[in-house]
Amino acid sequence: MSTATPAPGKPRARPSFYFRYLVEPYLYIAPAFVLIALVMLVPLVIGVSYAFQSVSLLRPFETGWVGTENFQALWSDRKFWLALKNTFWWTLGSIFFQFFLGLGLALLLNTRFYGKRLVQALVFLPWAVPTFLSALTWAWLFNPTIGPLPHWLAALGILSEPFNILGDPDLAMWGPITANVWFGVPFFAITLLAALQSIPGELYEAAEIDGATAWQSFTKITLPFLAPMIAITVMLRTIWIANFADLIFVMTGGGPANSTQILSTYIFTTAFRKLDFGYASAIAVALLALLLIYAVILLVLRRRLVKI
Amino acid sequence: MRGLIGAISALAIMASSAASAESLKLVEVITSPERTKVLQQQVEAFEAANPGTEVEIVSLPWGQAFEKFATMVAGGDIPDVVEMPDRWAGIYKDKLVDLNSRIADWEHGETLTQKTIDMGRQTDGKTVRMIPYGFYLRALFYNKKLLEEAGVGEAPKTMADFMAAAKAVSELDGKYGYCLRGGPGGLNGWIMMAATMNGNNTFFDENGKSTLNQPGSVEGIQFLIDLYQNGYAPKDSVSWGFNEIVAGFYSGTCAFLDQDPDALIAVAERMEADDFAVVPMPVGPAGKAFPTIGFAGWAMFDTTSNEDLSWKLIAHLASPEANKEWAKRVGVIPIHEGAEQDPYFKTEQFKGWFDTLNGDQYVPTVMPTYLEQFGYFADSIALESSQEALLGQISAQEVADKWAEFLTEEYARWKAAQ
Repeated sequence: MSTATPAPGKPRARPSFYFRYLVEPYLYIAPAFVLIALVMLVPLVIGVSYAFQSVSLLRPFETGWVGTENFQALWSDRKFWLALKNTFWWTLGSIFFQFFLGLGLALLLNTRFYGKRLVQALVFLPWAVPTFLSALTWAWLFNPTIGPLPHWLAALGILSEPFNILGDPDLAMWGPITANVWFGVPFFAITLLAALQSIPGELYEAAEIDGATAWQSFTKITLPFLAPMIAITVMLRTIWIANFADLIFVMTGGGPANSTQILSTYIFTTAFRKLDFGYASAIAVALLALLLIYAVILLVLRRRLVKI
Repeated sequence: MRGLIGAISALAIMASSAASAESLKLVEVITSPERTKVLQQQVEAFEAANPGTEVEIVSLPWGQAFEKFATMVAGGDIPDVVEMPDRWAGIYKDKLVDLNSRIADWEHGETLTQKTIDMGRQTDGKTVRMIPYGFYLRALFYNKKLLEEAGVGEAPKTMADFMAAAKAVSELDGKYGYCLRGGPGGLNGWIMMAATMNGNNTFFDENGKSTLNQPGSVEGIQFLIDLYQNGYAPKDSVSWGFNEIVAGFYSGTCAFLDQDPDALIAVAERMEADDFAVVPMPVGPAGKAFPTIGFAGWAMFDTTSNEDLSWKLIAHLASPEANKEWAKRVGVIPIHEGAEQDPYFKTEQFKGWFDTLNGDQYVPTVMPTYLEQFGYFADSIALESSQEALLGQISAQEVADKWAEFLTEEYARWKAAQ
């Protein structure tokens, strides 16, 4: 009897140990891995590989690997650099106003006032509107024949006469940016409000007792607590906005004279108007690389600055 | 057991082939609620005349039709019958059935106008790949009241008159001479002006070189730039598309509009018939005008499982009666001889188009839609560079050179493929 049972602490069977600790866990997560590979990695690899090929729907017999030819063409493509510059301004302009207005709104909604629930519901409304619809609505608002905005801007002295800023190459970008700010503020408001509500109230009480000013409690308590959320939401939104072509496409179609052409609208035109998927992929890869670099920088900064 | 499965699958195959023999798929690509309604009625009539036949209509909104349709065809989901716009015909030509012999045997084949046959043959000049269902021909709408206010006696007949009239109207407060289409679909205007000032509408000379940067053409391009830069067209017309120019005209913002009959539907709804009229486009220094002509038509793919039935459907849609109704409600010029005798087409408004068709000094210009990259040229290259020119970022010569270079290259490629 005693010879049959192994001594305590000694593994009963080696093979089952290996199986349970080295193989079995991976089997459990295998479906997730397979799924991720199928829906994300495979298309990504195929997409990136297109960038090194000639893939044109109109010239089906001229396909094949072309090495870095597409990227060399990109380097000397004036439109690419123009679109890159526009992408930068479009993203920066949108994120700047979205973030600060969203933060202001979140701070406001974090206080108590009469009718707060109603205001809260209204604030989130833009998110319920399809982008296509909001783009159309904003495009009409900027149209002096039907919309009020040009007349208001002219009355305020911002415009010399009521004209459509979407038709002015120097001002056109402000049209989609305005629509995007309206559309994107709720996102920051929601996420920042959630973060604000998780800050313990005692901290503010303690600060008040110590005689801290409102500004001090904002910079010394609120901001440090919000910082991790700010870093992550700003990063996500930047990537999203840089890729977000719907509003621009509907409102200006990239015009006039390419003044609102951003990289993602340029990718779309190249792929579906010129039917040149190879070159479109090369632009997409360039955009991907830029956004990756940006994300890495932001994550490093976040680690440096956020001490939680 | 195996016998049973065999029997079931044999039955299934029979059933499915029986079903596919009676069903057709029709894709329409230029859609609007009104158009789809007309098409649906005509298809229902066809189904009623051919019991047991079912036609499935797939409507693609025009804005995304190009990429959606290309994806459909590339993915093997190929319709039997398709509404084929002129500018796509070059891309799909090798997959479309040759309709020459079908038309020769058709009872209504005789009354098709020569223009219709020519346009159906545009891809190679020999094979009819589609039956156009009507034409979009440019003519000049003008606002009688505005011209009167500005002291312009009659509609302009020459380009010089046109510029002078546009100038006179622009002197009125808040009014402009010309509804310029600087945005999507603006290429026709540029080509028309270039050809009219150049006195010639051939796109390529005998060496295969584009004529668009010849001095005369550059003058035509400069003509439109001048109209815009002198303030004879609204400032934001640099990005105006079809809806904006038509709205600009019927709201009385601008006095002239060059458009196809399809704009007439929207204009006639909102303006009194006495307040506007349509005349042929003004002529250039050579005494000729070259309004562009565009079209779309019915075509069938060679992958169809039932060629006879597909042809029957096309013949039904293109028959004189169906086509006349289509032309009235969609706003195109009909394809059969004698249609202009219909009272609907005998108005002061329609006169402009039939005068254009019948006048020797007016030569309709067919865009070189057989070039593979023509769609890309029209919708992207020409759109962007013409806006740059209007805004003064590049000169008329530069934009003309750019277009000529692209078209010459494309033409050489097309030539090589013949």
